[in-house]
Amino acid sequence: MQSHKMIEKKRKSRDGKKHDRPQKFARKSKFSKKRGKIEDDKRRTGPRLPQSLRIELDRINPNDQSGSEEDEEGINDDVYEYEEGVPEEESKKNRRFDSVENYEYELPKDFKDENVDSDDDDDDFDGGENKIAHHKGKKGHLDQLDDDVEDEDDERHLRMLQGITGMPSQAFQDRKKTKVVSEGYPESEYNPTRDVLDGDGRIAIEDLLESIQGKPGYRELRKITRQVEKKGKVLQAPLPKEDRDRLERSAAYEQSKKDITRWEPLVKRNREAPTIMFDKDTDSGFSTIGAIASEFEPRTEFEKKMSSLVNDDNVMAAHKEDGSRLLELNKISLEDYISSRNHIAKMRSLLFRHEVKMKRVKKIKSKTYHRLLKKDRLKGSVGIPMDAEEAKELAMKQEFKRAEERMTLRHKNQSKWAQRIVKRGIDTQDEGTRAAMAEQLHQHALLTRKMNSMKDSSSSDDSSDEEDSENSDGSDEDKAPKLLAKAREKTRRVLEEDDGVPDSGVLSLPFMKRALKKRKEAADEEGRLAIQEFESSLKELEDTDEAKITKTGTVIEPKNKIRSSSYSSDSEAELEAQEDIDIGLGRTDDMQNNINVNSVSLYVDADIPQDSVLKNSELVKDLGPKMTYEVSILQSNTWKKMSSSRNEVDTNGKRSQKVVEPATHNQDIEFEGVGEDSDADSEGQMLDGILSSEHKSSYKLPSQAELIREAFAGDDVQEEFNKDKEEIMNLENPEPEKPAQLPGWGQWTRVQKKKGLPSWVLEEHENAKRKREEALRKRKDAHLKHVIISEKLDKKAEKLLTGTLPYPFTSKEVFEQSIRMPIGPEFNPATAVRALNRPEVVKKQGLIIKPIRYEDVDSHERGGEERRKSGQKQKIKRSKGRVKAVVAKS
Amino acid sequence: MKVKVISRSTDEFTRERSQDLQRVFHNFDPNLRSQEKAVEYQRALNAAKLDKIFARPFIGAMDGHIDAISSVAKNPNYLKGIFSASMDGDIRLWDIANRRTVCRFPGHQGAVRGLTASTDGSTLVSCGTDCTVRLWNVPVATIMESDSLSDCSSEPRAVYMGENAFWAVDHQCNGDLFATAGAQVDIWNHNRSQPVNSFKWGTDSVISVRFNPGEPNLLVTSASDRSIILYDLRVSSPARKLIMRTKTNSISWNPMEPMNFTAANEDCNCYSYDARKLDEAKCVHKDHVSAVMDIDFSPTGREFVTGSYDRTVRIFQYNGGHSREIYHTKRMQRVFCVKFSCDASYVISGSDDTNLRLWKAKASEQLGVLLPREQKRHEYNEALKNRYKHLPEVKRIVRHRHLPRPIYKAGVLRRVMIESERKKDQRRKAHSALGSIVTEPMRKRRIIKEVD
Repeated sequence: MQSHKMIEKKRKSRDGKKHDRPQKFARKSKFSKKRGKIEDDKRRTGPRLPQSLRIELDRINPNDQSGSEEDEEGINDDVYEYEEGVPEEESKKNRRFDSVENYEYELPKDFKDENVDSDDDDDDFDGGENKIAHHKGKKGHLDQLDDDVEDEDDERHLRMLQGITGMPSQAFQDRKKTKVVSEGYPESEYNPTRDVLDGDGRIAIEDLLESIQGKPGYRELRKITRQVEKKGKVLQAPLPKEDRDRLERSAAYEQSKKDITRWEPLVKRNREAPTIMFDKDTDSGFSTIGAIASEFEPRTEFEKKMSSLVNDDNVMAAHKEDGSRLLELNKISLEDYISSRNHIAKMRSLLFRHEVKMKRVKKIKSKTYHRLLKKDRLKGSVGIPMDAEEAKELAMKQEFKRAEERMTLRHKNQSKWAQRIVKRGIDTQDEGTRAAMAEQLHQHALLTRKMNSMKDSSSSDDSSDEEDSENSDGSDEDKAPKLLAKAREKTRRVLEEDDGVPDSGVLSLPFMKRALKKRKEAADEEGRLAIQEFESSLKELEDTDEAKITKTGTVIEPKNKIRSSSYSSDSEAELEAQEDIDIGLGRTDDMQNNINVNSVSLYVDADIPQDSVLKNSELVKDLGPKMTYEVSILQSNTWKKMSSSRNEVDTNGKRSQKVVEPATHNQDIEFEGVGEDSDADSEGQMLDGILSSEHKSSYKLPSQAELIREAFAGDDVQEEFNKDKEEIMNLENPEPEKPAQLPGWGQWTRVQKKKGLPSWVLEEHENAKRKREEALRKRKDAHLKHVIISEKLDKKAEKLLTGTLPYPFTSKEVFEQSIRMPIGPEFNPATAVRALNRPEVVKKQGLIIKPIRYEDVDSHERGGEERRKSGQKQKIKRSKGRVKAVVAKS
Repeated sequence: MKVKVISRSTDEFTRERSQDLQRVFHNFDPNLRSQEKAVEYQRALNAAKLDKIFARPFIGAMDGHIDAISSVAKNPNYLKGIFSASMDGDIRLWDIANRRTVCRFPGHQGAVRGLTASTDGSTLVSCGTDCTVRLWNVPVATIMESDSLSDCSSEPRAVYMGENAFWAVDHQCNGDLFATAGAQVDIWNHNRSQPVNSFKWGTDSVISVRFNPGEPNLLVTSASDRSIILYDLRVSSPARKLIMRTKTNSISWNPMEPMNFTAANEDCNCYSYDARKLDEAKCVHKDHVSAVMDIDFSPTGREFVTGSYDRTVRIFQYNGGHSREIYHTKRMQRVFCVKFSCDASYVISGSDDTNLRLWKAKASEQLGVLLPREQKRHEYNEALKNRYKHLPEVKRIVRHRHLPRPIYKAGVLRRVMIESERKKDQRRKAHSALGSIVTEPMRKRRIIKEVD
């Protein structure tokens, strides 16, 4: 309380300006109001009235103490003429302190008075000030005076304490935290007062308002401040850091939660999709043909030439403009055009002719012709002069073939087929087989012959062919003189030929030379003779035509001679002759073969008809009796039918009786009688029916129960069922085998006779029986009379059943449905298979999968527009039931 | 006279090319084919057996490091590039197609604990126990392609010093921030030598950090005080903490489901959480018999691979309680790091035996280009297996794996322990007042509390 006063006082003393401010307004403020009240209490410094009197006074003047100060002061002014300090206990409303204490307290005041002089000066100064202020008004003077008095009191008290205790005044200053600090600078925002620094002496809104009092807008401002005051909002102290952090964190968590939640529809869609695709947006470098082509670089000469032509400036320019320039560049002269056209026409016609020819050739069915053609072609290919490499290749090939033949002996009756034929004997085979065999052997001979002789063989073939053609063309007449002429020519050449004697080797030895010379001379002699003979024979031939054959025979002989004589030189003539002979022999052989074959075939032919005839006759023989038999059967049947139709009908009738019997055996016997009587066909039965119906004039309709009983009279269902059940029970829990004593087992002799079965066997049997009974009792259908519940486990079926319902499925039906339809390509159309077999995740090897990227998933509410926009494509996608996962594009 | 002949239009039966298949018409009436189900079942059985026959998951080992491999990072932009770091401070870039080192990054003085590459694949960030974070320029793909056997080595682009050892690092997806974990979580920018942001909640060191690939401002860390903490970078504050009974060694977000992450725990299990509901795990993935050291999701988001201290690598379905596949070799030691390749076809594991191993994600998958018919056949077989996987015979074949004896025995032992614990619980429950003992589900049992 006192401190407040002191503050005010000091402020006033320091700030001269504040002295002239109207106290009225200062008191209006909340802070100063309280202070004012207290000051009022203190101000009553006149003679102290007893409390009762004061109450009386209050009653006369109904203004309460908290009323306006002016009134109070007015009253005060009215009542008291001189001032007197109000004791403290009086200022307090509740009189807690007794008066005695108060007196004691007042005593030092008087005591202090004596000491202090400077205070008096102060007072004087104050008083002087007051005096100045006094001119302004009584109120202000009073107020000031009051403050001064208070101050003086405090000072005195402090001095007293100091005097008593001998301690410095600072020790007692805790009560008054403030003291006057004279400062060198005026107070400003840069040089705040100590009060401000200490946190006291705050500037209230009122302080600020004072300065603008009386200015326009002041009233409004005051109003507002009052309203604010009334509402009295109070700022709370900030929370501790821990709590603040927690709050912040939870806010952050909420925020991030919200952010994550926006992914939910997207994730849900991806999860529910039967397939997510990650194989899109592949970047395989070059995607188009154009891109690939642009990378092309001409490397070879041809490519360079082409590119130079293609990238010709003129052409490029023409391309860039339009087609007309291109046409210009493409101009050809008329002659060139005509010549090229003619050339093309010629080539076409040639082609056409060739085609026609080939067609004709193709139509020829003769195998020999084709064979010959083939040979020709081969020859042609051989005959074509080929370059060294090709020849070498061919030679290599042939050599390889030969080597292979030598290794494998493939053509020398090694194959199973050939061996079989050999075993059976070649002679018994037909012509074709034999020819094939001969061909094979020939092949073998060809292939295994020496290398150098290969060409010769081919040339010999040629000659033979030529001769063949000659043979075929000309008659024997032409052939003989030609041959003779040839032979003559050749012998002459041989004779004329000057055999150079070899200079080295065995033949160069002198004795060999001599021998050779001798032999040559002999040969020459012979040759000359031969020529003469040739000539004579030629003449003869020309003369006569009769003795041809004999002559030819004679012609051949000298050749043989020549061969025998001139063995040292392998002349062509010799070989030719040999070939001739060979061929001739071969031909004769062939002829013989032909004949043989023909005979055989004839024989066979003859045989076959004979056989066939025989067989036929046999067949006929066989058939005859059968036919007759069948016929007889038929006849007999018919006869039987004819004859025993009555019998049959009888049997029929009997059968019908039998059929009828069980159904009717409870009923009247009349029926039977009628059935027996009737020996006719079904008509008879019909008749029976009619008859019976006619007979039953006194028939009474049976009741339902009776009818059922009648219907099932024959079969005892109950018993059958019981039997079945028992059977099944026995099957599932078989009855233990009854222990039996095998004769001779368990006893040595007759003497050692056992009393019976061993006890353990019996016991076991008992046990088994008991077990079975128990099992039967435990069966589910033990107490159900009309039910059989099989408890047999089907092991094969067991492996097709799951123990429990698998996880994602909620019901048995759904699970079964899921594996019901087959998915294989054999059981489904090709269009459906792919979709049925599509895996859950479709990805591509080597394709980087980016993490999910956010996109709006059309929920049901606002999906309409987008769906309409995207149109049919999306529909198709949805129908296929696949959703592409949202993958960020690179 | 009436003559009936089978007539076929030539248009339908003439092949356009000689390679075309002869067209065959089927009558799909099910009454004509009563055995189709049996046939398909048999085929499924055969497919399962064939899968077993062709299961050859191991492609090759890459050796070169001289100490245990501590971390592996994949290049998100280049399929063949895989980075690996070892305990002796060596960092290598591998070309996994050729299985050789392309480049080396020398510089770290101590063990490298964290390794990551930026999304564009141009920057590699590594951190280690030498209290440094190093940024490296990754050589371009063309250098990788060139088969110069002399591997190049490069200098770090930047070296940032920290006060404490770093335990992990991860790069933001499509951004230029990266986070390191150590005594606290630091968020760094490529271009600044000081962290942009630091978070510390709790006293123990953070051992792993992972950014959310879908929601790039979200990251999750695990600390050695058994906590998993969620951070949000936009409000730059931690969001939520979860305390489990055992430490979480590594965490991986599901790249296709931004709300879900899976934590590889020290107690042999992995726990899949929804970041919005941390009070219980969505799925518990059991099968490992020792602490799970590392985890990485497949880019498809449908499965993840884990490497464990029990010397095996396992592949789990994202919602499966047990592993789909187990990989092990005689020489593979404790697995410290695993990664799925960016095309979801391969798995890379780095282990204590200084080797990096390359596996197929699907053990029996046929590598190389497939003909369409082959593709169809594989798809059909797969669909059949999938359809009949619940039937006992197929199930047995598909699930059967040969395990190394110690792992098998440890698994058996674990099962016995769990079973006996369960029995004890049951008995306790049976002998106490009704409702006084409540057994918590496994999804909640390992969680101590959720702190906000």
